[in-house]
Amino acid sequence: MMEVTSERRGSTVIINTAGRVDGSNASEFQDALEANIGAEDSAVILNLAALDYISSAGLRIILLSAKNLRQRDVGFSICSLSSSVHELFIISGFDQIIAIHSSPETALAAQEG
Amino acid sequence: MAEAQYKILVVDDEVDLQPLMLQRMRRDIRAGRYSFVFAHNGIEALEKLNEDDTIDMVLSDINMPQMDGLTLLEQIPTVDPNIKSVIVSAYGDMKNIRTAMNRGAFDFVTKPLDFADLRITIERTLAHLTEWRAALASRDQLVSLQKELDVANKMQKSILPTRFPRQADYEVFAHMEPARNVGGDFYDVINLEHGRIGLCIADVSDKGVPAALFMMSSRTLLKGASIGCEDPGDVLQEVNDLLRETNDTEMFVTLLYGIYDPATGDFTYANGGHNEPLLVRPDGSSSLLPRTGGIILGVMAGMEFAHNTINVGPGDTLFLYTDGVSEAMNVEAEEFGMERLAAIFAETPPNDAEDTTMAVFKAVHAFAGETPQSDDITCLTLHRSESGS
Repeated sequence: MMEVTSERRGSTVIINTAGRVDGSNASEFQDALEANIGAEDSAVILNLAALDYISSAGLRIILLSAKNLRQRDVGFSICSLSSSVHELFIISGFDQIIAIHSSPETALAAQEG
Repeated sequence: MAEAQYKILVVDDEVDLQPLMLQRMRRDIRAGRYSFVFAHNGIEALEKLNEDDTIDMVLSDINMPQMDGLTLLEQIPTVDPNIKSVIVSAYGDMKNIRTAMNRGAFDFVTKPLDFADLRITIERTLAHLTEWRAALASRDQLVSLQKELDVANKMQKSILPTRFPRQADYEVFAHMEPARNVGGDFYDVINLEHGRIGLCIADVSDKGVPAALFMMSSRTLLKGASIGCEDPGDVLQEVNDLLRETNDTEMFVTLLYGIYDPATGDFTYANGGHNEPLLVRPDGSSSLLPRTGGIILGVMAGMEFAHNTINVGPGDTLFLYTDGVSEAMNVEAEEFGMERLAAIFAETPPNDAEDTTMAVFKAVHAFAGETPQSDDITCLTLHRSESGS
């Protein structure tokens, strides 16, 4: 139900997550994120355009990744949220602690700026 | 005579309490359920705890010579961190109760002692203690995930109140159904000063024993912070900062807390990242409470939480819920959603807290059909009577 792929733009990795992330596959999601982030990457953009649903267990993994990356001085942002996922980010207050962009391009531009 | 199931240390400087306790609890003593040990101040209590490692819980007065109950509370964990304490205080002594909860007391009872109420509190504490020990054991032994979830499930249940206020002018009812894949929902109904009540609904991220332990601390911290505090925003700020201090696993809890004042119908709430409750009018129409914009608890220290006040009018119903309701799925992978929820109330305007709560569960189950429940489902309903008194 969940698929994670990635693409590189220079030293930034864009990680695309599709499907559903909930309590049943949150640890899989965590492993997939870690596997897609290289030691050399200077920034990570999580593209959630094809994400249908994320539960609080999934949000926790995003939070863990954001904190880990911050400690390593690696940039982290999220882009392309569907309206229902965006709603969840607003209700939980995640939008106050993680940068959210409308598209991978604007996220990339913000990383470079 | 065989050893009783549980040994309780009673600490009080009043000498009359010992015979009274033995007399009022004689059935439980005879049945081998409890045995009692007595101490008359904190120092004597610590000596007893050091001598006897089979003591399960402590029931302690606050004001005593030599060492008071609050100091004793601080010392107990150095003897055994897993002993649960219940504090006895004067009615309305919110400051001391609050300090006691912040120092790790599991619960409190007030003087003069109501022995029926005391027995319920003791049973709840012991039930929790049993689950707590099982949780620790399962952590130590790294037993199978299913066993761990089972333990977490029971722990979750042991802290939920099952008796609710049912007054002439308002009533409360709440219910939680855990998913197999337990997440860690909880609710609480807290008696405050001047007849007001604190209402809380919460959802802990992640699952299993770690989530259940996190839920326990959230619940205790909230209860401690809520007593004597008028501003739900300040309560959430305190809970958030305290959770943050000890949270290295990035677990978090979404928690809505509000104070209902039956005298006016005012409900003042603050929100730590939880779904907004619904206010349902007597005609069955409903609307979400305005957002107050707080963040989930346990993630970032120093955050402030705004509060808002709405009025629950005569005949109105306040409905608090977790996302297990709105995000329940059917076989076609559709979500239950807010529209279906609003439709339940539109069809049958609520006039009873319990009926309304259970009607929502029934509708969610009917919708989900054979689809396994993936998240805990929790609802808490407050209904204000039409007549107003």
